[in-house]
Amino acid sequence: MARLSRRAALASAGASLVLPRFAIAQADQRLSVTVAVQKIANSNTLETLREQSNVGTRHGGSYGEALIEQDWLGDLRLQPGLASAWRRVDDGTLELELRPGVRFHDGREMTAEDVVFSFGPERMWRPDPTAARNLFGNVPGRTQGKAPPPEAAAIARRTYPGFERIEVVDARTVRFVNKVADPALEGRLSRTTGMVLSGAGFEASSSWLDWARRPVGTGPYKVAEFRPDQSLTLVAHDDHWRGRPPLRGIRFVEVPEVASRINMLLSGEADFACDIPPDQIGAFERSARHEVVGGPIMNHRITVFDKNHPQLRDARVRRAFTHAIDRKAIVDALWAGQAAVPRGEQFDFYGPMLIADWEAPRHDPAEARRLLREAGYKGEPIPYRLLNNYYTAQVPTAQILVEGWRAVGLNVVIEMKENFPQVLSNQGGGTATGRGVRDWSNSAAFNDPVSSLTSAHGPEGQQWQINEWRNEEFGRLSSVLEGSMSLDERRHAFRRMLEIIEREDPGYTVLHQTLNFTAKRRDLPWKPGASFFMDFSARNWAA
Amino acid sequence: MLRFLGLRVSRALLTMVLVVTFAFVVLRLSGDPALLIMSADAPPEAIAAFRQAWGLNDPIWEQYLRYFSAIFRGDLGQSMRDGRPAIELVAERIPATLALTLPALAIKLGLGIPAGIYAALHRNSFADRAVMLLAVAGFTVPSFVLGLVLVLVFAVQLGWLPSGGQESWRHAVLPVLTLGIGGAAVLARFTRSAMLEVLGQPYMRTALAKGVPWARAVRRHALPNAAIPTVTIVGFMVGSLLAGAVVVESVFSWPGVGRLLVVAVANRDLAVVQCILLLVAATMVSANLVVDLLYGVLDPRLRSAPRGATA
Repeated sequence: MARLSRRAALASAGASLVLPRFAIAQADQRLSVTVAVQKIANSNTLETLREQSNVGTRHGGSYGEALIEQDWLGDLRLQPGLASAWRRVDDGTLELELRPGVRFHDGREMTAEDVVFSFGPERMWRPDPTAARNLFGNVPGRTQGKAPPPEAAAIARRTYPGFERIEVVDARTVRFVNKVADPALEGRLSRTTGMVLSGAGFEASSSWLDWARRPVGTGPYKVAEFRPDQSLTLVAHDDHWRGRPPLRGIRFVEVPEVASRINMLLSGEADFACDIPPDQIGAFERSARHEVVGGPIMNHRITVFDKNHPQLRDARVRRAFTHAIDRKAIVDALWAGQAAVPRGEQFDFYGPMLIADWEAPRHDPAEARRLLREAGYKGEPIPYRLLNNYYTAQVPTAQILVEGWRAVGLNVVIEMKENFPQVLSNQGGGTATGRGVRDWSNSAAFNDPVSSLTSAHGPEGQQWQINEWRNEEFGRLSSVLEGSMSLDERRHAFRRMLEIIEREDPGYTVLHQTLNFTAKRRDLPWKPGASFFMDFSARNWAA
Repeated sequence: MLRFLGLRVSRALLTMVLVVTFAFVVLRLSGDPALLIMSADAPPEAIAAFRQAWGLNDPIWEQYLRYFSAIFRGDLGQSMRDGRPAIELVAERIPATLALTLPALAIKLGLGIPAGIYAALHRNSFADRAVMLLAVAGFTVPSFVLGLVLVLVFAVQLGWLPSGGQESWRHAVLPVLTLGIGGAAVLARFTRSAMLEVLGQPYMRTALAKGVPWARAVRRHALPNAAIPTVTIVGFMVGSLLAGAVVVESVFSWPGVGRLLVVAVANRDLAVVQCILLLVAATMVSANLVVDLLYGVLDPRLRSAPRGATA
């Protein structure tokens, strides 16, 4: 029998304590990456019920997951997420089987109660307008509360217009019960607003703002630190149900200047640089170490009209706007001909709902002039609000648009704004609305027109809600599109809605499909999807 | 001397009141913070509740008086966007900004003043022309261009230094150089012209005629007299320590007071903007006060000169 001296025993014991830690440290050879972005969040929160933005979409899916997912990397089908399966109980009810073994970032296992919380009044439906006063600051003598911000209910209503309740069938099964039939219920559940978050995490937070800056989700990465306007640091959630994430961490750094983002990538400070304008792509073509990836995503750049503006009340003036746009010139000049001019506000992945023979208004300056003559437009100024390149190439696009409009006699005055609330504000026009024309984009979060058309322009959509554009027939047809289970009826309604909002009584006009380019290290096996979302999960990190 | 001091302090206080008033009025008139903070999707009653709670419905003079009296209680308000005291948010960023502006100030002084003196003492020589050429170049190139050029050379091409961020002292090198080079160029030009003016004065000729050695005449008579305009510029530079790096902080993604100011203005986070402006005004006014006092030290005539008399 081998003898063990006291010194050797102590050494062994010490080694046994040290070695596993060393081994773990050695085993975690995973990379941490830095992503330079122009903006992390418009609202400075990570709660998707407040942060409804393209920039927020980029990282939302890394810390939170929905019951049903969209396959942004593949053929854009709906696929199981936190629900491993689902079935229709009736036209308005969906039964979902919860995936076992899903753990939140706080280590708790996801339960049906967490789904109830995530779609429940505390998070979505019970915003207290009077509590809003304390949401983002302590008015003396009061404290910050936990009521969600007042817009949360508006956004929830827009996303789940027929929602009635979540029903717990058993520990692993829930039912999403709608008040009305809804053909697009599955798609609606794939939206980031429907990410399942930890009810206990919400309880443990000191205020809504505290929660909204550190939501406890189930995604492959958890929020380690969020420094508003500066950086968002995510670290691997090693208990993720798909297995260990491929990266040790992801750091999103806010770098507003595109030149600075590119320099950070080239100098090795960043591994990814987002929102690369097309004119910068050539700079990377000969690079051995870097490349630009990306292409069309399920988003359209659009220009929106406020029909209450005195000069825009006459639909013929708005129609003149739509005919004075040379969309091909924009695509050729600014997107090297790579962006598509869409067939109205619809996408190919709408499948049977796609109106294949529909087109964007043709470029016809003569028709535009005729319409203006008929409308009696005399060159009165019309404001056009835009941000400084929030959308890639936004300002040069606006310059082309304005020249086209001027050429037909429209006196459009650019008003540069600093943020979206300023763009959307109806102040500044004296007794009338200060809004005239503005820039916007519209994403289809799932494969049905309700994801883009009604959610943005229907009665629960932002354009309608802020009284920018309303149309009674369009409102009625929105109910048909959202509630009818007949494909023919829905297609008919959809076509008529496009006729109304894109031709007869324009609420917006499409410009081009959005292309999203990301510059990155060539050796990193990450691929862009058809969304702003940057998927850093294991499924998108295979060499 | 007391009258001199009293006048300067009152003028400094008046400047600060004017800055605070101007900032308050402009910010209140240039956008509704309720709409910016609450989002366009918020129902009207929520926006109304927010306005009510923050006193935004009150007449502007009432809001102004409330704000002004709060300042005297040491309350600079709370960020509407963040919920934290504005002074806390600003104080968090001050070290980052000073980490750039203090070393940059050292470069400006250490490089600009000697270069200006050297150029003046070697007027019309090759060295003078070379220094002035560099100074004009440094003075005229905007800081964002200089910053990007430095990044292209030292970060992208040579890979010696990082191009942005705030992780280590190495990240500060390029922004400090960007700030320092421009400022040194300005100082060099001012120092040179001040020195040249002094070197041509009769008292310099008299001193040299009396047999005072050149070096001593420069040291004892030229430098102190040339210091007055230079001190004015240095005072301005010290005064802009807190807010003098807005552009450079943006180019180098440096999370200092400058970037906070840009974001706070864009979001009409009134308390934060006002807090920054107040601190910047206080720094600028204090620096100018010190400069005024230094004038008195440097030139005894200013201490005793009657009001309106020229020195």
